[in-house]
Amino acid sequence: MTENVFVISAAMIPFGKHRSSSYVGLGVSPLIDALQGAGIQKSDVDAVYVGHSYGGMMTGQRITKEIGLGTVPTVNVDNACSSGATAMHEAWTAINQGLIDVAVVIGVEKLTQFGGGALPLSPEDREVKQGLIMPAVYAMRATRYLYESEATVEDLARVSVKARRHGALNPFAQFRKEVTVEEVLAARPVADPLTLLMCCPTGDGAAVVVLASERARARLGAPNGMRVAASVLHSGQVEEGFRDMTKPEISYQSARDAYAQAGIGPEDLDMIELHDAFSIAELVYYEAFGLTEKHSAVALLRDGRTTFGGDVVVNPSGGLLAKGHPVGASGVAQIAEAFWQLTDQAGARQIEDARWALTHVTGGGTAGLDHGACTIHIFEAA
Amino acid sequence: MTPSTEVPVSAPIADLETDSLLGTFPEGPRLVGTECGQCGRTMIGTRVVCSSCVSREVSRVALPSTGVLYSFTRLHVGVEGVRPIGYIDLDDDVRTLADLREGDTPLQPGIPVVLGVEGDQWFFAPVAGE
Repeated sequence: MTENVFVISAAMIPFGKHRSSSYVGLGVSPLIDALQGAGIQKSDVDAVYVGHSYGGMMTGQRITKEIGLGTVPTVNVDNACSSGATAMHEAWTAINQGLIDVAVVIGVEKLTQFGGGALPLSPEDREVKQGLIMPAVYAMRATRYLYESEATVEDLARVSVKARRHGALNPFAQFRKEVTVEEVLAARPVADPLTLLMCCPTGDGAAVVVLASERARARLGAPNGMRVAASVLHSGQVEEGFRDMTKPEISYQSARDAYAQAGIGPEDLDMIELHDAFSIAELVYYEAFGLTEKHSAVALLRDGRTTFGGDVVVNPSGGLLAKGHPVGASGVAQIAEAFWQLTDQAGARQIEDARWALTHVTGGGTAGLDHGACTIHIFEAA
Repeated sequence: MTPSTEVPVSAPIADLETDSLLGTFPEGPRLVGTECGQCGRTMIGTRVVCSSCVSREVSRVALPSTGVLYSFTRLHVGVEGVRPIGYIDLDDDVRTLADLREGDTPLQPGIPVVLGVEGDQWFFAPVAGE
Protein backbone atom coordinates (compact mmCIF):
# COMPACT_ATOMS: atom_id res chain seq x y z
CA MET A 1 0.00 0.00 0.00
CA THR A 2 1.52 3.29 -1.03
CA GLU A 3 0.51 6.73 0.20
CA ASN A 4 -0.54 9.75 -1.81
CA VAL A 5 1.95 12.58 -1.32
CA PHE A 6 1.07 16.27 -1.47
CA VAL A 7 3.14 19.44 -1.74
CA ILE A 8 1.40 21.67 0.82
CA SER A 9 3.68 24.71 0.75
CA ALA A 10 6.50 26.39 -1.16
CA ALA A 11 8.80 29.34 -0.60
CA MET A 12 11.95 30.72 -2.21
CA ILE A 13 14.18 33.74 -2.35
CA PRO A 14 14.60 35.55 -5.68
CA PHE A 15 17.59 34.04 -7.49
CA GLY A 16 20.49 36.41 -7.99
CA LYS A 17 23.96 37.35 -6.82
CA HIS A 18 23.48 37.42 -3.06
CA ARG A 19 27.12 38.02 -2.20
CA SER A 20 26.38 38.91 1.43
CA SER A 21 24.61 35.62 2.17
CA SER A 22 26.06 32.23 3.12
CA TYR A 23 24.26 28.92 2.47
CA VAL A 24 22.58 29.50 5.84
CA GLY A 25 21.67 33.05 4.91
CA LEU A 26 20.15 31.84 1.66
CA GLY A 27 18.19 28.95 3.16
CA VAL A 28 16.73 30.04 6.49
CA SER A 29 14.09 32.53 5.29
CA PRO A 30 12.39 30.24 2.76
CA LEU A 31 12.52 27.43 5.34
CA ILE A 32 10.60 29.55 7.86
CA ASP A 33 8.19 30.82 5.19
CA ALA A 34 7.49 27.32 3.87
CA LEU A 35 6.67 25.97 7.34
CA GLN A 36 4.43 28.98 7.94
CA GLY A 37 2.73 28.54 4.57
CA ALA A 38 1.97 24.93 5.45
CA GLY A 39 0.57 26.05 8.79
CA ILE A 40 2.73 23.54 10.65
CA GLN A 41 5.27 23.65 13.48
CA LYS A 42 8.88 22.48 13.23
CA SER A 43 7.91 19.66 15.60
CA ASP A 44 5.58 18.31 12.89
CA VAL A 45 8.53 17.62 10.54
CA ASP A 46 9.63 13.96 10.32
CA ALA A 47 12.67 14.41 8.05
CA VAL A 48 14.60 17.02 6.07
CA TYR A 49 16.12 16.43 2.61
CA VAL A 50 18.62 18.98 1.31
CA GLY A 51 19.93 19.23 -2.25
CA HIS A 52 23.18 21.10 -2.93
CA SER A 53 26.41 20.48 -4.82
CA TYR A 54 28.93 22.96 -3.44
CA GLY A 55 27.71 23.67 0.11
CA GLY A 56 30.26 21.51 1.89
CA MET A 57 29.72 19.32 4.93
CA MET A 58 26.38 19.38 6.75
CA THR A 59 24.84 22.13 4.65
CA GLY A 60 21.35 21.00 5.67
CA GLN A 61 22.08 20.84 9.39
CA ARG A 62 23.76 24.26 9.27
CA ILE A 63 20.51 25.70 7.94
CA THR A 64 18.00 23.77 10.08
CA LYS A 65 19.84 24.36 13.37
CA GLU A 66 19.19 28.08 12.97
CA ILE A 67 15.52 27.41 13.72
CA GLY A 68 16.14 24.54 16.12
CA LEU A 69 14.86 21.92 13.70
CA GLY A 70 16.97 18.95 14.75
CA THR A 71 16.79 15.39 16.03
CA VAL A 72 14.92 14.13 12.95
CA PRO A 73 16.97 12.74 10.03
CA THR A 74 18.58 15.34 7.76
CA VAL A 75 19.83 13.92 4.46
CA ASN A 76 22.24 15.93 2.29
CA VAL A 77 21.97 15.01 -1.38
CA ASP A 78 24.34 15.75 -4.27
CA ASN A 79 23.31 15.02 -7.84
CA ALA A 80 24.69 18.16 -9.50
CA CYS A 81 21.87 20.22 -11.08
CA SER A 82 19.45 17.46 -10.09
CA SER A 83 20.36 17.69 -6.39
CA GLY A 84 17.24 19.53 -5.26
CA ALA A 85 14.89 17.35 -7.30
CA THR A 86 16.70 14.25 -6.06
CA ALA A 87 16.12 15.42 -2.48
CA MET A 88 12.44 15.79 -3.47
CA HIS A 89 12.42 12.25 -4.87
CA GLU A 90 13.90 10.87 -1.65
CA ALA A 91 11.32 12.72 0.46
CA TRP A 92 8.52 11.52 -1.79
CA THR A 93 9.76 7.94 -1.55
CA ALA A 94 9.79 8.00 2.24
CA ILE A 95 6.23 9.33 2.49
CA ASN A 96 4.95 7.20 -0.38
CA GLN A 97 6.27 4.11 1.37
CA GLY A 98 4.59 5.13 4.62
CA LEU A 99 7.86 5.58 6.52
CA ILE A 100 7.19 9.21 7.44
CA ASP A 101 4.32 11.71 7.13
CA VAL A 102 5.84 15.17 6.77
CA ALA A 103 9.07 16.16 5.02
CA VAL A 104 10.85 19.41 4.28
CA VAL A 105 12.82 19.64 1.04
CA ILE A 106 15.47 22.35 0.70
CA GLY A 107 17.38 23.20 -2.47
CA VAL A 108 20.20 25.66 -1.96
CA GLU A 109 23.32 26.84 -3.79
CA LYS A 110 25.79 29.70 -3.73
CA LEU A 111 27.60 29.99 -7.06
CA THR A 112 29.00 33.49 -6.48
CA GLN A 113 31.58 31.78 -4.24
CA PHE A 114 33.38 30.83 -7.48
CA GLY A 115 33.58 34.37 -8.83
CA GLY A 116 31.85 33.62 -12.14
CA GLY A 117 32.56 31.53 -15.22
CA ALA A 118 31.49 28.01 -16.06
CA LEU A 119 30.49 25.58 -13.31
CA PRO A 120 33.44 23.75 -11.72
CA LEU A 121 33.18 20.06 -12.67
CA SER A 122 34.94 17.06 -11.11
CA PRO A 123 38.68 17.31 -11.86
CA GLU A 124 38.82 13.51 -11.79
CA ASP A 125 36.74 13.21 -14.97
CA ARG A 126 38.60 12.29 -18.16
CA GLU A 127 36.94 14.90 -20.35
CA VAL A 128 37.10 17.59 -17.67
CA LYS A 129 40.87 17.02 -17.61
CA GLN A 130 40.79 17.68 -21.35
CA GLY A 131 39.11 21.01 -20.69
CA LEU A 132 35.45 20.20 -21.12
CA ILE A 133 32.95 22.62 -19.57
CA MET A 134 29.16 22.47 -19.62
CA PRO A 135 28.72 25.23 -22.23
CA ALA A 136 30.83 23.12 -24.60
CA VAL A 137 28.65 20.04 -24.09
CA TYR A 138 25.49 21.96 -24.96
CA ALA A 139 27.22 23.84 -27.76
CA MET A 140 28.15 20.54 -29.42
CA ARG A 141 24.58 19.37 -28.95
CA ALA A 142 23.46 22.60 -30.64
CA THR A 143 25.92 22.29 -33.53
CA ARG A 144 24.70 18.77 -34.26
CA TYR A 145 21.01 19.71 -33.86
CA LEU A 146 21.35 22.63 -36.28
CA TYR A 147 23.19 20.31 -38.69
CA GLU A 148 20.50 17.61 -38.60
CA SER A 149 17.32 19.70 -38.43
CA GLU A 150 15.79 22.82 -39.93
CA ALA A 151 16.46 24.79 -36.75
CA THR A 152 18.61 27.91 -37.07
CA VAL A 153 20.69 29.94 -34.68
CA GLU A 154 17.78 32.41 -34.63
CA ASP A 155 15.65 29.65 -33.11
CA LEU A 156 18.21 29.24 -30.33
CA ALA A 157 17.85 32.97 -29.73
CA ARG A 158 14.04 32.71 -29.72
CA VAL A 159 14.25 30.31 -26.77
CA SER A 160 16.11 32.98 -24.78
CA VAL A 161 13.67 35.69 -25.88
CA LYS A 162 10.73 33.61 -24.62
CA ALA A 163 12.52 32.82 -21.34
CA ARG A 164 13.23 36.49 -20.69
CA ARG A 165 9.65 37.46 -21.56
CA HIS A 166 8.38 34.98 -18.99
CA GLY A 167 11.02 35.97 -16.43
CA ALA A 168 9.98 39.62 -16.72
CA LEU A 169 6.70 38.57 -15.08
CA ASN A 170 8.37 36.66 -12.24
CA PRO A 171 9.49 38.50 -9.08
CA PHE A 172 11.75 35.51 -8.24
CA ALA A 173 13.72 35.72 -11.51
CA GLN A 174 17.38 36.81 -11.69
CA PHE A 175 16.78 38.53 -15.07
CA ARG A 176 13.58 40.57 -15.45
CA LYS A 177 14.54 42.50 -18.56
CA GLU A 178 13.28 41.36 -21.96
CA VAL A 179 15.70 40.85 -24.86
CA THR A 180 15.36 40.66 -28.64
CA VAL A 181 16.61 38.03 -31.08
CA GLU A 182 19.14 40.57 -32.35
CA GLU A 183 20.47 41.24 -28.84
CA VAL A 184 20.83 37.52 -28.13
CA LEU A 185 22.74 36.93 -31.37
CA ALA A 186 24.98 39.95 -30.82
CA ALA A 187 25.91 38.96 -27.26
CA ARG A 188 29.43 37.78 -26.45
CA PRO A 189 30.16 34.31 -27.87
CA VAL A 190 30.66 31.63 -25.21
CA ALA A 191 30.84 28.37 -27.16
CA ASP A 192 29.68 28.53 -30.78
CA PRO A 193 26.83 28.70 -31.64
CA LEU A 194 25.87 29.70 -28.08
CA THR A 195 26.15 33.33 -27.01
CA LEU A 196 26.11 34.56 -23.43
CA LEU A 197 22.34 35.21 -23.60
CA MET A 198 21.76 31.56 -24.60
CA CYS A 199 23.41 30.41 -21.34
CA CYS A 200 21.89 30.41 -17.88
CA PRO A 201 23.51 32.87 -15.47
CA THR A 202 25.44 31.96 -12.32
CA GLY A 203 23.85 33.04 -9.09
CA ASP A 204 22.69 32.11 -5.63
CA GLY A 205 19.36 30.83 -4.44
CA ALA A 206 17.28 28.68 -2.15
CA ALA A 207 13.84 27.14 -2.40
CA VAL A 208 11.87 25.03 0.06
CA VAL A 209 8.78 22.85 -0.26
CA VAL A 210 6.87 20.94 2.41
CA LEU A 211 5.43 17.49 1.63
CA ALA A 212 2.76 15.63 3.55
CA SER A 213 0.87 12.38 3.35
CA GLU A 214 -2.88 12.60 2.89
CA ARG A 215 -3.56 11.71 6.52
CA ALA A 216 -0.99 14.21 7.83
CA ARG A 217 -2.48 16.89 5.63
CA ALA A 218 -5.89 16.25 7.21
CA ARG A 219 -4.51 15.92 10.75
CA LEU A 220 -2.59 19.18 10.49
CA GLY A 221 -5.36 21.08 8.69
CA ALA A 222 -2.81 21.96 5.98
CA PRO A 223 -3.68 23.43 2.56
CA ASN A 224 -4.73 20.99 -0.20
CA GLY A 225 -1.74 21.97 -2.34
CA MET A 226 -0.89 19.67 -5.23
CA ARG A 227 -0.57 15.89 -5.52
CA VAL A 228 2.69 14.30 -6.59
CA ALA A 229 1.51 12.14 -9.49
CA ALA A 230 4.97 10.92 -10.48
CA SER A 231 8.49 11.08 -9.10
CA VAL A 232 11.19 9.54 -11.27
CA LEU A 233 14.98 9.53 -10.92
CA HIS A 234 17.29 8.05 -13.55
CA SER A 235 21.07 7.81 -13.82
CA GLY A 236 23.05 8.04 -17.04
CA GLN A 237 24.22 4.87 -18.77
CA VAL A 238 27.73 4.84 -20.16
CA GLU A 239 28.22 4.74 -23.95
CA GLU A 240 31.78 4.16 -25.14
CA GLY A 241 31.00 4.76 -28.80
CA PHE A 242 28.40 6.64 -30.84
CA ARG A 243 25.82 8.64 -28.93
CA ASP A 244 23.03 10.73 -30.49
CA MET A 245 23.44 14.02 -28.61
CA THR A 246 20.20 15.35 -30.07
CA LYS A 247 18.27 12.54 -28.36
CA PRO A 248 19.37 12.52 -24.71
CA GLU A 249 18.12 9.10 -23.69
CA ILE A 250 18.11 9.81 -19.96
CA SER A 251 15.37 12.44 -20.41
CA TYR A 252 13.39 10.33 -22.91
CA GLN A 253 13.36 7.37 -20.52
CA SER A 254 12.58 9.43 -17.44
CA ALA A 255 9.64 11.11 -19.22
CA ARG A 256 8.30 7.76 -20.40
CA ASP A 257 8.39 6.40 -16.84
CA ALA A 258 6.89 9.58 -15.34
CA TYR A 259 3.94 9.57 -17.76
CA ALA A 260 3.32 5.88 -16.98
CA GLN A 261 3.42 6.53 -13.24
CA ALA A 262 1.06 9.52 -13.50
CA GLY A 263 -1.27 7.85 -15.99
CA ILE A 264 -1.28 10.89 -18.28
CA GLY A 265 0.40 11.95 -21.52
CA PRO A 266 2.09 15.10 -22.80
CA GLU A 267 -1.22 16.34 -24.23
CA ASP A 268 -2.59 16.63 -20.67
CA LEU A 269 0.09 19.01 -19.39
CA ASP A 270 -0.70 22.67 -18.74
CA MET A 271 2.86 23.64 -17.89
CA ILE A 272 6.41 22.34 -17.90
CA GLU A 273 9.46 23.62 -16.05
CA LEU A 274 12.37 22.08 -17.93
CA HIS A 275 16.15 22.19 -17.68
CA ASP A 276 16.99 25.00 -20.12
CA ALA A 277 20.54 25.50 -18.87
CA PHE A 278 21.36 26.46 -22.48
CA SER A 279 18.79 27.39 -25.09
CA ILE A 280 19.36 24.28 -27.25
CA ALA A 281 18.16 22.15 -24.34
CA GLU A 282 14.61 23.46 -24.57
CA LEU A 283 14.23 22.31 -28.18
CA VAL A 284 15.68 18.89 -27.49
CA TYR A 285 13.42 18.41 -24.46
CA TYR A 286 10.20 19.29 -26.33
CA GLU A 287 11.00 16.16 -28.28
CA ALA A 288 12.08 14.11 -25.26
CA PHE A 289 8.77 14.82 -23.53
CA GLY A 290 6.72 13.84 -26.56
CA LEU A 291 5.35 17.32 -27.32
CA THR A 292 6.48 16.77 -30.91
CA GLU A 293 8.56 14.49 -33.13
CA LYS A 294 12.35 14.46 -33.21
CA HIS A 295 13.83 17.48 -35.06
CA SER A 296 10.51 19.34 -35.19
CA ALA A 297 10.63 21.35 -31.97
CA VAL A 298 11.12 24.72 -33.63
CA ALA A 299 7.61 24.68 -35.08
CA LEU A 300 6.17 24.70 -31.54
CA LEU A 301 8.43 27.53 -30.53
CA ARG A 302 7.90 29.67 -33.63
CA ASP A 303 4.12 29.22 -33.45
CA GLY A 304 3.95 30.30 -29.82
CA ARG A 305 2.53 26.99 -28.69
CA THR A 306 4.85 26.81 -25.65
CA THR A 307 4.17 30.26 -24.21
CA PHE A 308 1.16 31.80 -22.46
CA GLY A 309 -1.96 31.13 -24.52
CA GLY A 310 -0.38 28.10 -26.21
CA ASP A 311 -0.89 24.35 -25.78
CA VAL A 312 1.47 24.05 -22.82
CA VAL A 313 3.43 26.85 -21.17
CA VAL A 314 7.09 25.86 -21.00
CA ASN A 315 9.04 27.57 -18.23
CA PRO A 316 6.44 30.12 -17.10
CA SER A 317 8.96 31.13 -14.40
CA GLY A 318 11.51 32.16 -17.04
CA GLY A 319 13.36 28.88 -16.60
CA LEU A 320 17.03 28.54 -15.86
CA LEU A 321 17.84 31.08 -18.60
CA ALA A 322 15.95 33.94 -16.93
CA LYS A 323 15.04 32.84 -13.41
CA GLY A 324 18.62 31.67 -12.88
CA HIS A 325 20.29 28.37 -12.04
CA PRO A 326 21.84 28.00 -8.60
CA VAL A 327 22.46 24.32 -9.30
CA GLY A 328 21.11 22.52 -6.20
CA ALA A 329 18.24 24.98 -5.76
CA SER A 330 16.81 24.73 -9.27
CA GLY A 331 14.89 21.46 -8.93
CA VAL A 332 13.06 22.67 -5.83
CA ALA A 333 12.43 26.10 -7.38
CA GLN A 334 10.76 24.41 -10.35
CA ILE A 335 8.46 22.57 -7.95
CA ALA A 336 7.70 25.85 -6.16
CA GLU A 337 6.68 27.33 -9.54
CA ALA A 338 4.42 24.35 -10.25
CA PHE A 339 2.92 24.74 -6.76
CA TRP A 340 2.10 28.39 -7.26
CA GLN A 341 0.67 27.74 -10.73
CA LEU A 342 -1.51 24.79 -9.65
CA THR A 343 -2.74 26.64 -6.53
CA ASP A 344 -3.54 29.82 -8.47
CA GLN A 345 -0.91 31.97 -6.73
CA ALA A 346 1.37 32.80 -9.68
CA GLY A 347 0.26 36.41 -10.09
CA ALA A 348 1.03 38.07 -13.42
CA ARG A 349 2.28 34.80 -14.93
CA GLN A 350 -0.67 32.65 -13.80
CA ILE A 351 -1.71 29.98 -16.31
CA GLU A 352 -5.49 29.84 -16.41
CA ASP A 353 -7.03 26.66 -14.97
CA ALA A 354 -3.66 24.95 -14.67
CA ARG A 355 -4.14 21.37 -13.51
CA TRP A 356 -1.14 19.29 -14.61
CA ALA A 357 2.54 20.30 -14.32
CA LEU A 358 5.81 18.54 -15.17
CA THR A 359 9.21 19.53 -13.78
CA HIS A 360 12.53 18.25 -15.17
CA VAL A 361 16.19 18.67 -14.23
CA THR A 362 19.21 16.78 -15.43
CA GLY A 363 22.55 16.85 -13.70
CA GLY A 364 26.19 16.64 -14.43
CA GLY A 365 28.81 16.50 -17.12
CA THR A 366 30.52 13.12 -16.95
CA ALA A 367 32.52 11.47 -19.74
CA GLY A 368 30.56 8.73 -21.51
CA LEU A 369 27.21 9.72 -19.99
CA ASP A 370 24.43 11.75 -21.57
CA HIS A 371 23.96 13.31 -18.13
CA GLY A 372 24.68 11.89 -14.71
CA ALA A 373 21.16 12.24 -13.36
CA CYS A 374 17.65 13.14 -14.50
CA THR A 375 14.67 13.82 -12.27
CA ILE A 376 11.11 14.28 -13.49
CA HIS A 377 8.08 15.05 -11.37
CA ILE A 378 4.45 15.36 -12.44
CA PHE A 379 1.93 17.19 -10.27
CA GLU A 380 -1.86 17.46 -10.25
CA ALA A 381 -3.83 20.27 -8.65
CA ALA A 382 -5.50 18.93 -5.51
CA MET B 1 39.10 -19.45 14.92
CA THR B 2 39.79 -20.40 11.33
CA PRO B 3 37.41 -18.87 8.81
CA SER B 4 35.67 -21.46 6.67
CA THR B 5 35.95 -19.31 3.53
CA GLU B 6 38.29 -16.55 2.48
CA VAL B 7 36.76 -13.21 1.46
CA PRO B 8 38.27 -11.43 -1.54
CA VAL B 9 40.50 -8.49 -0.71
CA SER B 10 39.48 -5.79 -3.18
CA ALA B 11 42.41 -3.80 -4.50
CA PRO B 12 42.50 -0.09 -5.33
CA ILE B 13 43.08 0.77 -8.98
CA ALA B 14 46.05 3.06 -9.62
CA ASP B 15 44.17 5.05 -12.24
CA LEU B 16 45.98 8.29 -11.46
CA GLU B 17 49.21 6.80 -12.82
CA THR B 18 47.71 5.84 -16.17
CA ASP B 19 45.49 8.72 -17.22
CA SER B 20 47.39 9.93 -20.30
CA LEU B 21 45.37 9.38 -23.45
CA LEU B 22 48.39 9.49 -25.79
CA GLY B 23 50.66 6.42 -25.99
CA THR B 24 53.52 5.03 -28.05
CA PHE B 25 52.79 1.96 -30.16
CA PRO B 26 54.62 0.09 -32.96
CA GLU B 27 52.54 2.03 -35.49
CA GLY B 28 53.50 5.34 -33.86
CA PRO B 29 51.81 7.67 -31.40
CA ARG B 30 48.14 6.79 -30.96
CA LEU B 31 45.35 7.34 -28.49
CA VAL B 32 45.34 4.65 -25.82
CA GLY B 33 42.39 2.32 -25.74
CA THR B 34 41.39 -0.78 -23.86
CA GLU B 35 39.94 -3.85 -25.55
CA CYS B 36 37.85 -6.42 -23.72
CA GLY B 37 39.04 -10.01 -24.24
CA GLN B 38 35.57 -11.35 -23.41
CA CYS B 39 33.09 -9.26 -25.42
CA GLY B 40 35.44 -7.35 -27.73
CA ARG B 41 34.26 -3.88 -26.70
CA THR B 42 36.88 -1.17 -27.18
CA MET B 43 36.98 1.79 -24.83
CA ILE B 44 38.89 5.06 -24.64
CA GLY B 45 41.74 5.27 -22.13
CA THR B 46 43.28 2.77 -19.74
CA ARG B 47 40.73 0.58 -17.99
CA VAL B 48 40.95 -2.49 -15.82
CA VAL B 49 37.35 -3.59 -16.32
CA CYS B 50 35.01 -3.70 -19.31
CA SER B 51 32.05 -1.32 -18.90
CA SER B 52 29.88 -3.66 -20.98
CA CYS B 53 30.48 -7.19 -19.62
CA VAL B 54 32.48 -6.37 -16.44
CA SER B 55 35.29 -8.71 -17.50
CA ARG B 56 38.77 -7.93 -16.17
CA GLU B 57 40.39 -9.64 -19.15
CA VAL B 58 41.23 -6.39 -20.88
CA SER B 59 44.30 -5.27 -22.81
CA ARG B 60 45.87 -2.01 -23.93
CA VAL B 61 45.42 -1.23 -27.63
CA ALA B 62 46.20 1.57 -30.05
CA LEU B 63 43.03 3.31 -31.20
CA PRO B 64 42.59 4.15 -34.89
CA SER B 65 44.09 7.47 -35.94
CA THR B 66 41.13 8.28 -38.17
CA GLY B 67 37.49 8.94 -37.55
CA VAL B 68 34.53 11.21 -38.23
CA LEU B 69 33.77 14.53 -36.52
CA TYR B 70 30.42 14.08 -34.76
CA SER B 71 30.07 17.65 -33.52
CA PHE B 72 32.22 20.55 -32.42
CA THR B 73 32.30 24.00 -30.87
CA ARG B 74 34.71 26.89 -30.70
CA LEU B 75 35.20 27.80 -27.05
CA HIS B 76 35.56 31.50 -26.30
CA VAL B 77 35.68 31.26 -22.50
CA GLY B 78 38.25 29.80 -20.12
CA VAL B 79 40.94 29.83 -22.85
CA GLU B 80 43.34 32.22 -24.55
CA GLY B 81 41.75 33.17 -27.86
CA VAL B 82 39.46 30.59 -29.40
CA ARG B 83 39.73 26.83 -28.81
CA PRO B 84 37.95 24.46 -31.21
CA ILE B 85 37.04 21.11 -29.63
CA GLY B 86 34.83 18.29 -30.77
CA TYR B 87 33.69 14.72 -30.41
CA ILE B 88 35.34 12.26 -32.81
CA ASP B 89 33.84 8.87 -33.59
CA LEU B 90 36.94 6.77 -34.26
CA ASP B 91 36.77 4.00 -36.82
CA ASP B 92 36.28 1.31 -34.14
CA ASP B 93 33.18 3.02 -32.66
CA VAL B 94 34.99 4.70 -29.80
CA ARG B 95 34.10 8.33 -29.18
CA THR B 96 36.69 10.74 -27.88
CA LEU B 97 36.74 14.41 -27.02
CA ALA B 98 39.59 16.14 -28.85
CA ASP B 99 41.14 19.47 -29.61
CA LEU B 100 40.66 20.35 -33.26
CA ARG B 101 42.91 22.14 -35.74
CA GLU B 102 41.27 24.27 -38.36
CA GLY B 103 42.54 23.83 -41.89
CA ASP B 104 41.41 24.48 -45.45
CA THR B 105 38.35 22.29 -44.91
CA PRO B 106 35.82 24.09 -42.71
CA LEU B 107 34.83 22.20 -39.57
CA GLN B 108 31.45 20.54 -39.98
CA PRO B 109 29.75 17.47 -38.49
CA GLY B 110 30.41 14.39 -40.59
CA ILE B 111 33.80 15.30 -42.04
CA PRO B 112 36.67 12.76 -41.84
CA VAL B 113 39.42 13.72 -39.41
CA VAL B 114 42.87 12.38 -38.59
CA LEU B 115 45.04 12.38 -35.46
CA GLY B 116 47.96 14.82 -35.35
CA VAL B 117 50.73 14.85 -32.73
CA GLU B 118 53.21 17.59 -31.89
CA GLY B 119 55.38 16.69 -28.90
CA ASP B 120 53.01 15.60 -26.15
CA GLN B 121 50.13 17.61 -27.67
CA TRP B 122 47.59 15.78 -29.79
CA PHE B 123 44.61 16.92 -31.83
CA PHE B 124 42.44 15.98 -34.76
CA ALA B 125 42.32 17.87 -38.05
CA PRO B 126 40.25 17.53 -41.23
CA VAL B 127 41.74 14.94 -43.62
CA ALA B 128 43.68 16.83 -46.32
CA GLY B 129 42.05 16.88 -49.74
CA GLU B 130 38.59 15.90 -48.52
